[in-house]
Amino acid sequence: MSGRGGYLLRKVGWALLTVLVVITFNFVLFRVLPGDPAKSGLRDPRLNPAAVEALRERFGTDKPVFVDLEADNPFDSQFTAYLGALSRADLGTSYAFRDQPVSDLIGQALVNTLWLVLPSQLLAIILGSVLGLFAAWRRGRALDVGALTFSLFMWSLPTFFLGIILLVAGAQWFGLPTAGRVTIGANYADVWEAALDIGSHLILPTLTLTLVLLGEYMLIMRSSVLDVFGEDYILTARAKGLSTYRIIRHHALRNAMLPMVTLIALNLGFTVSGAIQVEAVYSWPGLGALTVSAVADRDYPVLQGAFLLIALSVVVANLVAELIYGWLDPRVSEG
Amino acid sequence: MTAVLEATTSTTVEAPRRAWRSFLRHRMGVIGAAMLGIALLVAAFAPLIAPYDPYASVRVNIGDIYQAPSAAHVLGTDDGGKDVLSSLLYGARVSLVVGFSAAAIALVIGGLVGIVAGYRGGWVGSLLMRITDFFLVIPDLALQIVLVAIIGPSLGTIIFVIGALGWTTTARLVRSQTLSVRERKFVMRARAIGAGDAHILRRHILPAVLPLMLANMVLVISLAILSESTLAFLGLGDPTVISWGQMLNFAFDRGAVSAGAWWALLPPGFAIVWVVLATTLLGTALEDALNPRLKRHHLEAPGSDVARDRTVPALVPPLAEAEAPILRVRDLSIEFDVGGRSLRAVDRVSFDLRRGETLGLVGESGCGKTTTVLGILRLLPPGGRVVGGSVLFDGEDLLSLDGRALRSFRWTRLSLVFQGAMNALNPVRTIGDQIQEAIRLHAPGTSKADAARRAGELLERVGIGRRRANEYPHTYSGGMRQRAMIALALACDPDVIVADEPTTALDVMIQAQILELLGGIAHDFGMGIILVTHDLGVVAQVCDRVVVMYGGVVAEENDAATLFASPQHPYTQQLLQSFPDLAHPDRPLRGIPGSPPRLDAMPSGCRFAPRCPHVFDRCVNEPPLYPAAGGRASCFLLDPAERRP
Amino acid sequence: MTEQLLRVEGLAKTFPGRRSLADVLARRPAQPVRAVDGVSFELGPGEVLALVGESGSGKTTVGNLLMGLMAPSGGRVMLDGAEVGRLSARDLRLLRRRVQMVFQDPYESLNPRMTVREIVAEPLRVHRISASYAELRTRVADALTSAGLTPVDAYLGRYPFELSGGQRQRIVIAAALALQPSLLIADEPVSMLDVSIRAEILNLLSALAREQGIGVVMITHDLSTVAAYADRIAVMYLGRIVEYGPTRAVLAEPRHPYAQALLSVVPVPDPSFRRRPVILRGEMPDPSNIPSGCRFHPRCPLAFDRCPTVDPPLFEVGPGHAAACLLVEEPEAAAEPARRLG
Repeated sequence: MSGRGGYLLRKVGWALLTVLVVITFNFVLFRVLPGDPAKSGLRDPRLNPAAVEALRERFGTDKPVFVDLEADNPFDSQFTAYLGALSRADLGTSYAFRDQPVSDLIGQALVNTLWLVLPSQLLAIILGSVLGLFAAWRRGRALDVGALTFSLFMWSLPTFFLGIILLVAGAQWFGLPTAGRVTIGANYADVWEAALDIGSHLILPTLTLTLVLLGEYMLIMRSSVLDVFGEDYILTARAKGLSTYRIIRHHALRNAMLPMVTLIALNLGFTVSGAIQVEAVYSWPGLGALTVSAVADRDYPVLQGAFLLIALSVVVANLVAELIYGWLDPRVSEG
Repeated sequence: MTAVLEATTSTTVEAPRRAWRSFLRHRMGVIGAAMLGIALLVAAFAPLIAPYDPYASVRVNIGDIYQAPSAAHVLGTDDGGKDVLSSLLYGARVSLVVGFSAAAIALVIGGLVGIVAGYRGGWVGSLLMRITDFFLVIPDLALQIVLVAIIGPSLGTIIFVIGALGWTTTARLVRSQTLSVRERKFVMRARAIGAGDAHILRRHILPAVLPLMLANMVLVISLAILSESTLAFLGLGDPTVISWGQMLNFAFDRGAVSAGAWWALLPPGFAIVWVVLATTLLGTALEDALNPRLKRHHLEAPGSDVARDRTVPALVPPLAEAEAPILRVRDLSIEFDVGGRSLRAVDRVSFDLRRGETLGLVGESGCGKTTTVLGILRLLPPGGRVVGGSVLFDGEDLLSLDGRALRSFRWTRLSLVFQGAMNALNPVRTIGDQIQEAIRLHAPGTSKADAARRAGELLERVGIGRRRANEYPHTYSGGMRQRAMIALALACDPDVIVADEPTTALDVMIQAQILELLGGIAHDFGMGIILVTHDLGVVAQVCDRVVVMYGGVVAEENDAATLFASPQHPYTQQLLQSFPDLAHPDRPLRGIPGSPPRLDAMPSGCRFAPRCPHVFDRCVNEPPLYPAAGGRASCFLLDPAERRP
Repeated sequence: MTEQLLRVEGLAKTFPGRRSLADVLARRPAQPVRAVDGVSFELGPGEVLALVGESGSGKTTVGNLLMGLMAPSGGRVMLDGAEVGRLSARDLRLLRRRVQMVFQDPYESLNPRMTVREIVAEPLRVHRISASYAELRTRVADALTSAGLTPVDAYLGRYPFELSGGQRQRIVIAAALALQPSLLIADEPVSMLDVSIRAEILNLLSALAREQGIGVVMITHDLSTVAAYADRIAVMYLGRIVEYGPTRAVLAEPRHPYAQALLSVVPVPDPSFRRRPVILRGEMPDPSNIPSGCRFHPRCPLAFDRCPTVDPPLFEVGPGHAAACLLVEEPEAAAEPARRLG
């Protein structure tokens, strides 16, 4: 058991380290690279003097970036100021949305994104696993060839283009809403009506994201099931007289899920990229759409905050996947 | 397990010329290359083909916007009144330039990081891999957006950003490939010769890694093209050039959907699909050709392992019940489909196994011994099928059992101990659990507690002890796993156990322990055992009867004492002469010149004829049948008609 | 004794043990793995020495130490009077020309992308030995001929996958011979080959020793294979040589209980051959946790009271024959029931 504890500790430690690096990286990115927001932001005509003052104070542009060993207080730097602000969940104030704290903006956006990503992810994993399993079992048959072709096309189709196609088709033939989270200006009679409205807005974006992820997960599951089917313990199970169903259920599934979990974790960036595109196409007010609009508005505090949150979510999701792996595989204690 | 298949296919795996041929065989690779070729031509000759110059500034009238396709504008016009077809053709240039340049950057970074991390190892390697892991976690697109937003959207920036973020997969691939090549014996041998790092990298590592890197680069190109178009669609493209993503961005943002202008949306979208599909097909085919994986598949549709038109030999007259062998194999023939040819791996093999008897099935690699038992067990790998013969188990023909009957037969009457117990046990289930599963499957009424108790007893019997029932296979040593496998084989108290090379790869002392255990079990439980092995010493030590196989046929069969005392077949005689014997350490060993026949080049007469010192004309033309008249071996020398010296 | 080609004195190799995170937190020190723990032997030109042991006995590590592939933690390897571990990089390269290795797996130890010509010429190129192309060609042809691959032209242009296992192993040997070494280290040279092929390879190795005066160290787990070829046998257990002597003497009258047990369980291809096998219980202990006293005592059927405390040196039991067992000193101890362990 101590081995498994060690695994847990190692993974959590690695995740914390990654978080630290992500935060530093995020800080450096917006400080060192050309287009320094503190400077270019100060020239932005949209800013009122109070905001400029707030920016100065927040970034403390007169302070050293990391440490200045010759100063009285070597750790009184821009970086420590940034860390201090972060620890108070203070991500600054948006340029574009006057006086709105960035944390409020991206908090709401994150909730919206999760509404989109979680169902799609779940659906894609379940469907992808089932289809991948059948494709592997019936290797070379119609279902397998169909699944492979589908995955290939899904892979080659840019997500935003698939979104556009589905948007046009959904609006044209099913009259589904194609933009936003709710119908603008709608007055709901009761909760159900509101839920129905949000639900109908969710259909097309979710469908798009699910389809994109599905192709990927199906491929992963297929190859990992194929690997397991080639193992000798499957032959042992057959020799024992287990039916195909039992072999798959008791001997193949759990073993095949192991690489699947790892690869899903590695592919989280893919999910994020899909979500950003889907949100852009369907004007879904999530983190991705917020990021894109922040770029258009040169709203650097929002961009910085949104990127940090996206990166942190992926680190956390990755950690969850690693922990699931540790729970599934008794061998991790070897580590 | 698939020794037969390996004998004919695995030898070909790494030849460079074969890789090219297998690439040609991959139709998708050829299609991808052709599609990419077309895209490259279009990009190169865009100014010549395009009807208009999309970069020319024109005055736009309101009526020019979103014109439907017509003779003047084959694909209509866009939101700026420009010809869609012309923009489309010019757009190919941007996509391909970005794709190739970014992939080249990614390849250089990823290749270097991968080779250094894989070859150097140590802390440098770990640090590099940690950095790679970090970049793998950071979502690409989000970071690309941030970087392009900060640096400013020029074509150069976009190429740099995509390339600088796209190297992680290449690095991981190259690292693992470098690592595996570095660990291979031929690199160790080069080191032992005295070769330095430069020589090893140049002569051994790079030739193995470069082809895969190039295949990977083609896939990275497709990723880069997707990234570029996504960035452009999100409004982060270089505003001074026309790209497909940007065309979609403008059309989508500027009312093409509500105007019903499908011609402004679909062509650039499918152009991206075209190029990405082309590179994906090509890259995948290249990877497959360079690294072919003929995967085993133990769950291929059941029932196909016995040919419907198998020839069934006339039933031998039944013997009196008491002395009837528990297992009678008659004229068993097995074929494999390899590359469109049917190769006969086992040809008319017959033998009997009596109750409580231990039978040794001996032969060298590729002689068909494992295939024979897999055929009997109905566990042939895909592509293999029984084309003739019968396998009578207690009077019932195993080859005609259907799914359900076969399943309930398995393990209760005939169970199996595999060669590599390492892989034959499921790594994520405990040993006890795997034994209980067999018990409860075949005796459905058994309670969990009873099954657990029985599993404990079995583990006790094989010398493991019940306390370790709840442990996973990876905590067991090699010898312990083989013991666990034997406990598993005993779970349903079968009549016969097939043990396929149960002690190969085990140390001599562990081998002795396992053989002692098997012998004890045969004695205590009165079980028949078929021991498949290449080790004549093991056979002499534990077997009552011996079947010697060569090239897929039975060369000789006899009781052990007679066979070792006076072998009749020249192969058996020579095999015994080449086998070291500690009881007679002064006897010189003589090898058999030549090597065993390959499946795809089986001699037409006697299979041993090319290596036989007594060969004469009849041996080359005619296959001797077992048993040849007057002997228990398939050799014409035993035919009284042949009066040979 | 002065004409020794190879002299190994008190050779030792310790690997740092692995610590898990839990060990680090609990401040448990890492247990060093003593893979080789004081091994000495000598080898003359044209002599064949078999290093026999089970996996974990340290025999492969000894091979790597002899090759200079890793540095010893203690003791020394002397080749023609020069100490291998102390060589400068340049001298180490020269050493490599004199010591060559034949590996276990001929399917793995040849680069599949190189032709036979390239493989056999590789050592010559690495050491920049041949001045001219013609000389290179002659030396490659000579090496192939010595390894029994004739006619040479039939092999030069072929790739490893076109050759059988036996032919591949001959290629490996030819590549080793190209440098005209004085010492060959053969690590399980036949265990991956078909039975009918093994004898030919072993015959080839012993002919090379006899005819060309090459010293051969054969590392193997298989006593029966070496019986007919080795001049002397060294039986290893847990990093030590426990018995050492002329092949004939060791086989006829093994003195160490481990060697006795090992010999008694080697399968003999003769059903009429009767003997009483001594099957040891359990498995060889982990080299990171070597038992006190005689390292074999926990598994020894003859262990007595002194065994857990005294680490026996090699006692002379005959001409050139030695065994590391206290029973050599006190043969009567095993017969006294009061002193028996277990």
